Formats: sequence, structure tokens, C-alpha cells
Amino acid sequence: MLNWAVSRRTWSFRERRARGTSPAFVMGAREIRQAIDWGELGPLRFRARQVAEGAYAGLHRSALRGAGVEFGGYREYVAGDDLRRLDRRSLLRHQRLLVRQFETETDRALCLVVDASSSMAFRGPAAKGSKIAFAAIVAAALARIAIVNGDPVSVTFAGDERVQSIARSSGREQFERIVAALETLEPGGDAFADPGMLDRALLSLARVARRGAIVVVLGDLLDWASGAAEKVASLASGGRVLAVVQTLDPAEADFPFSGTVRLRALEGGHVVETDADATRAAYLDALGELTRGWRESLARRGGRFLSATTNDSLTGLVRSIVQTIR
Amino acid sequence: MTFLSALALSMAVLVVAPYLAHRLRRKNAEEQIFPPARLVVPAPPEARRRSRLEDRALLVTRGAAVVVLAVLGATPFVRCSQLSLHRAAGASIAMVIVVDDSMSMRAVSGGGTRLERARRGALELVSSAREGDSIAVVLAGTPVRVELASTTDLGAARQATLALTPSDRGTDLEGALTRAHELLASAPQADRRIVLLSDLADGRADGEPLSGAGDTPLWVALPELAASRVDCALVRADQRGSRVHVEMACGPGQSAAGRELVVEDAQGSSLGRTPAPGGDKGETSVFLQRGDAKADRVRLTGADAIVEDDVAPVLPEAARGTLAVVADATDEAVATGGAPIVEQALGALKLDVDVAPLPAVPDTVDELANRLGVVLDDPPGLTPEQRHVLAGFVGSGGVVLLALGPHAAAAPLGATFEPILTQAVSWDDTTQRGVQASTVVGGLAESAESLSDLGATRRTLLSPADAALFQPLASWTDGAPLVARRNMGRGEIWIVCLPFSLDASDLALRPAFLALLHEWLQVALDHAAPLRGVVGASWSFPGARSVRVEGPAGPLEIARETGVARVSTPWLGVYRVTVDERTEPRVAQVDPREVDLRPRRVAPGPAGADSIGQRRELVDVSGYVALVLLVLLTIEMALRLSSRRTLVGA
Repeated sequence: MLNWAVSRRTWSFRERRARGTSPAFVMGAREIRQAIDWGELGPLRFRARQVAEGAYAGLHRSALRGAGVEFGGYREYVAGDDLRRLDRRSLLRHQRLLVRQFETETDRALCLVVDASSSMAFRGPAAKGSKIAFAAIVAAALARIAIVNGDPVSVTFAGDERVQSIARSSGREQFERIVAALETLEPGGDAFADPGMLDRALLSLARVARRGAIVVVLGDLLDWASGAAEKVASLASGGRVLAVVQTLDPAEADFPFSGTVRLRALEGGHVVETDADATRAAYLDALGELTRGWRESLARRGGRFLSATTNDSLTGLVRSIVQTIR
Repeated sequence: MTFLSALALSMAVLVVAPYLAHRLRRKNAEEQIFPPARLVVPAPPEARRRSRLEDRALLVTRGAAVVVLAVLGATPFVRCSQLSLHRAAGASIAMVIVVDDSMSMRAVSGGGTRLERARRGALELVSSAREGDSIAVVLAGTPVRVELASTTDLGAARQATLALTPSDRGTDLEGALTRAHELLASAPQADRRIVLLSDLADGRADGEPLSGAGDTPLWVALPELAASRVDCALVRADQRGSRVHVEMACGPGQSAAGRELVVEDAQGSSLGRTPAPGGDKGETSVFLQRGDAKADRVRLTGADAIVEDDVAPVLPEAARGTLAVVADATDEAVATGGAPIVEQALGALKLDVDVAPLPAVPDTVDELANRLGVVLDDPPGLTPEQRHVLAGFVGSGGVVLLALGPHAAAAPLGATFEPILTQAVSWDDTTQRGVQASTVVGGLAESAESLSDLGATRRTLLSPADAALFQPLASWTDGAPLVARRNMGRGEIWIVCLPFSLDASDLALRPAFLALLHEWLQVALDHAAPLRGVVGASWSFPGARSVRVEGPAGPLEIARETGVARVSTPWLGVYRVTVDERTEPRVAQVDPREVDLRPRRVAPGPAGADSIGQRRELVDVSGYVALVLLVLLTIEMALRLSSRRTLVGA
């Protein structure tokens, strides 16, 4: 498989000798749904709970708590609605029972978008796990926080057509479904060869993310087309809260190579031979420019941008995300 | 070369070891997965160049060290030989180095040309000279030249030796040795010697042996150059319509059998080919595939000792020069009939010229174009147009023979002989019976006796002013000129104070008359610029105001001797000669003697010459090789230190 091959290629010779030739590592990992190079991050279920509990204590707010202040429209009265919200003017003028809705009372669903393209399978020599593993834990932790608070959660993957998104739902079973899907996720797809990859994911998301929903995008943002930032930023409209979390490998953030290196991208087929020492500054500038572009695009639409590496604290990152979307 | 030398030198194959080590050490950049690779700036050329530069310096140094080490291992078996001066008495010496720079020295022997070896030998001799020694350098290519007069400035001698360049000249060894003796005659040193650096191939292999003069020994320092080789040369090539006539020459007993003559155009395309003629001399014609093709050169295929003479330029065959004769057919005819007597006399000379009788002196310039000369037999004066045409002809190099008689003396008013003569001539009775033999000079001298009793009752007398302008070649017994000449412009005027008519005198019946015509015709041929000449010959341009000569390798320096411009042609090929803004091509062709590479014999030197002369020494180069090795090792250490500092700094 691709990520397995990638992992083999990026390990040092000594690591391969110690780990890659182990039958337990090669076969057993596949049998326990080791599609993702979890490294030191797994197992996902316990890790997600641990991260969520460490994150939401004292920080989380319920989607249904407190009265709303932002008018969100009318709807027909159904039995059980709070009579204090019955619109008396509509009753007197139109003889209809309408209930006034406020923003805090609309659906506070959590919509997770996880980049599952090939590049997310990368794990550098100094990383604790692959980028997809890191993103999966963060997604699971956020899902757990939402579900515990009664909010529905959906997960959309931006990858090849084999990965199936998880429809919006709530409850404990939904968390199990999400965890199972993340554990068996097999990154794939090439954003350069398949420019519609992101569009499909956003279209799927638009169907479930209604007004007031929280959208969290997890990905490396490296291989999406130049207009991707604007497309993703458009999710911040319509009363939705958008947070984009750029997930990078430490090697991608620091460019630790030295001497003459030949680098091959996982998407787009780019192969570059360069003098790492001479071009490190130019690479970091280019990466900074990319990040700045996303940050500015999101800021113009009211979105939030976070950046992390896979060696960063998971709990701290989830806490930052929760604080960002409050 | 002994077995040990070969074994030691074979170790030089280890020169590839550093390269192999470098190849093994220099691995390709390992490919690594890196998702944001598209954000990385490619810079492989810079990286590789830096790596290559560092590696190359070390590689070359180590490779050279291995080779030098192998050579050092072969010493003292490997030695170099060089020329040096031997001083029996320890006193300073006077030496003339005669270097043969003729075409035969272009022959390749021992990996280089003979001239290169001779130049190295001359440098070795100069290097072995010391303060107080005087050195002169004489070049034996025709004409003999003194490249460096005797000097004690060894730096100048070295510079003169380094400046020696090959040429295509002929060889004049005897002239060069004579010149060397002249240079040594005034030298203050008691120890004098002549060193000859030549292949001794001067085309006179059967001539007298070369020798020194008096006590001055002659040392042929490089006898290995005197080796007979096979050589053939293309002497000339003329295009006549659709065929090219080629003349070639080979060394005695040699031939170009099996080789081909190829005619090529300016772009190098073949226009035609034919087998080369056999024998040491031969002519053949190459028929061109297209009649309108313009041949540029002829090439002799195959290889021989000298490559440069296997190519000859092709020139269109020049129109044969003609003599214009203006004579009165009635007065000048002989009793037996036929052409005027001057025409018959010119025909009797059997020269390769045509005679064109003209009814009168032309009054247009075109009619005298391509004429070798003009003979005017007692013309009745010249009209202004004729004078203008004749002045232009003479001024541009033409030669005129003017016989003055009764018609000339009776020229009508306005028909003068200006600018040849400024005043009228007179046709007077004379009692002088002939020419004073002592006044006859030049080619006429041998026939002076035949003019001692000329049968002439009347003769033409010049005015004293005109007589003073001419140089008499033969004078009457009273001193009046009979034959005289003067230069005018680039041409010459010859006058004869008797007409050629037998009615006036019996001059035309005297042997001296033919000698006169022959002498005059030779002058005319000399003035008519020859299209071809042997390389090394001097071209003179008397009367020319401005001369430019562009040779195959650039412009040539014009020398002026007594006001006459001269130029020597050092190379084969086509020259563009511009004289007074008139340009014409000329060709310097091979001296056929230069293809004879047989060496000339050398007479044994005087007794004791060896003891006071020279020797060859063997020089052990071990010390030099070891020094080079030491330098290389130092350079390698410096390079390694430098690269280590660079790494630490990085």
C-alpha cells in the first residue's frame, strides 16, 4: 500500500532493519487495520478520549445552553416548544403559530473535513506518527467532545473515491463509527491528478453543514489547487464557524535536509534535486507564503486558521481549536 | 628502455585509481519522499558544480602524482638528452646558429616537425650559453636572412629563437653558411663555431659536401633530422575552361602512384578527380564535372612527409603576353619579303611571346592592355592621344623600344615624342663607322664587336638635354648614344638612334641586334608582373609609389632598397598585390627542389674540431621529477586542508 511503502522509504536503514523486517510489524499491523502509520499516537479510541477529556473540561459550551441573542428566523410551532418563544404578532396578524428562533438554538453540528490524500500518509524520521494519524486523533477528539455535549457530528474525507464520508449523527454509536472509519482510513488520491477531490468533499459538506454548524478542516494544505483557500473560506458564510488546521510533519516545517538531496512529492509527481543547505531559506519562505495565503483568505471570510506539526501536543491543539470556535 | 623502466612506467596505469575511488565515493543523491517538494527550488547544477570542482582539483592532483611517481620510479633509467656547448678552454665563444626554416623542415619526425626540433635545439644551445658568449641566428630559407645579429644579450637570443616560425621557402645552406662566416669574421672571441640545425635537404644531395671555413668548425647538431623521406608536391595548377592542368613533382625516384588529384571549389566540394601521374615529375589534367565550375584548389590525396605542399591554388590561365610592333611594312620589309625585319628578329628569338603588328601607335588605352612591350620603329612622331596612351603604358610598368630614324626626325609640327624626348631629333650624316666597344654594357657587351663597323651613313642625334636623360648602353665612337635607356614611371624607355630598316643601316643584320632585342625583351618580361613565382623569391616593384601585399597569413612587410619596393614571399599560396591602387593576384608556388628530402653530405670538420666544439649530453631528470612530485604532494595537502576548513565552516 502507498502509505506503507512511504513509511518504509522514509525510515532509515537501521530502522528498517529493526522494524521493517519484523513479521509482526508487517503483517500484524495490516491485520489490526494499520492503514495509518500511527506511530506513537495510537490507539485512537483511548487517545481521542484522553485528548478530549483533557481539552473540554471548563472550556466546552453546550450548543443548547442559554438564550440566543441573534435572530435566526421562524418556524411552525410544534408541541413541546417553549411558549415564551411563540411569536404573538404573527398569531394576531396571520392566525398562525410561529416560533421565533435564535442562533444559539439552531443546529450546532460539528462537521469535520479530513484531508485523506496521499500526502497525509507522510511521516518524517523525527515525527511521532503520520500526518493522517495526527489528524485522525484530533478529529476523533473533537467528535467526542461534540457527541458528549449532544451535538451531531459528520466526517467528510477529501481523498480518493474509496473513502466514504460519515453522515451527520449524534450519540455514542456515532463516535464508534467515526473511530472505526478513521482507523481504517487509507489515504490515497492525488490532488493534482484529481482537481475535483476538494470540490466533492465541499459539496458533500454543504449538504450537512447548515447554518450555525462548526466546520473544522484538517489537512496539510500543501497540494490543493491555488483557489482552494477561497473555496474552503466560503464555508465560513451562512452563519457557519470555520476553523482550518494545517497539519504538517516536522520535516515539512523545518526542512532538515543537508547536502544534495533528491526529493519526490507524493502528489503531482514532482521530483526536485537540490542543494538543501542553499535552498532551505527559499523553501521556508515558500511555505510561509502558502500559509499566509490561507490565513488571509480565511480571515477575510471570518474563518480561523491554526497550524501544527505532528509532534505538537494533541491536547493543546484540541484546546486551541475549541477556544477558536467558541 | 629497459625492462625495469617499462615496469616502472607501467605503474602509471594506476592513474585511474583516484578516478575510480572518486566514482565509488561519489554516490548519487538519495531520493527521499517529501510531499511539499514543489515548494523546493531546484538547484542541482550549482550543487554538482561545487562538488565537481572540489573533486576535480584533488583528482587531477592525485592523478598527476601517480604519473610522476611512476616516472620517478623509472629514473635513472629515463633520461633526456639536449644540446649544450662544450668549452675546452673555458673562454667565451662566438656562435652562429644556422636554422633551416625551409619547407622541408615542415616534415614530421618524432612527433613534431623538424623545425620544432631545430627550435628546441637552438633554445638548448642558447640556454647553455653564458655571459660573454655572442650568439647570432641565421635563417637558411631563401633568401638567407639574419634573424639576429651577433649579440651577447642572451635574452634577445632566446626571444629570437622563440620567434622562429615555419615557412615554405627553399633552402640555401651555402648562402647561410657564408653569411654565418661573415658574422663570425668580426667576432672578438677566439672560439668560434657554426651550428647548423637543418635536415640538409637543399635539393642538391649530389653537390659538394658542406663544410666550415678555415678554423671555424661546422657542427651539424641534429643529424637525426637528415633523413630521406617520400614527398610529392603540387607545383602549379591552372584552369583552362573545363579542365585544370596540374603540374606536380616528387623526390628523385619517388612517385605519387596510387594517389589522386582532387579539384575542389571554395566550399570544399569535389569538382573532379584523376589519378596522380607516376614518376618524379609529371603533368596531368583534371576534367571538371561542370564546365562553368570555378576551381579553387587542387589536393593530392594520401599522406607524405609534408602536408602543406599537397594543396595548390588554382588560377585561371593567364592570357599570354604579346609584343606590339609598330613598323612601316614598306620601309622595313626585306628583299626576301615577309614581315618587317624587327618582327622576324623577334620571332627568331624563340621566346614564348607573341608579336602583334600594329599599323600605328594606338590612341586608346585598351589597345595596349596586356602588352609586354611596344616596339616603335621610326615613327613619324606621336599625336597627343598617342603620347598620352604611351605615357600611361610606360608609367604603369610597360617597356618601349623606340628606334629613331628619318621619319622621326621629320615629324610634323605637333607630332613630338614627349614625354620620352623633350626636343626634336635630327637625322644627320655621320662619318662614325661604329660603336666604341668599351661603352657597350649589359647584355650587349658580348656582341659589342659586331657593332664596331656599322654600315650607316646617317644617324639620329639627340639633343644634349635629352641625351643627358638616358643611360647609354652603347655609344658611337664620338660618344653619341646608339642605344640608351631611361626609367619613366614604373616602366622603361629604350631608344636606338638608328632605324631597323636595312635601307638606313645594317644594324638589323648584326648579332648585336638580336642581343639588343633579347635584352630588351627580358626587361619587358621582368616588368610584366609574373603571376607565379617560386616561394621565397622577392618581388620588386620599381617605380611603384604604394605597394600592399596580402599573403595567405596576412599582410607582408614591404622593404625598400634604393627606392624600390620589394617583398619576399614566405608561404605558398595566393597573394593579393596592390600596386598604386591596382590589385592583382600572384601565386607563390613550391620550389621543386624542396621535395627532394635527401640530405646533403657534410665534410668532416678540421682536425681537433671535436675537442673545441660541442657534444651531446645526457641529463638525468630524476631530481626534476622528484621536485615536481614534491610540489604535487604539497598542492594536495593544501587542497585537503582547504576542503576541510570549508566543511568545518559549513
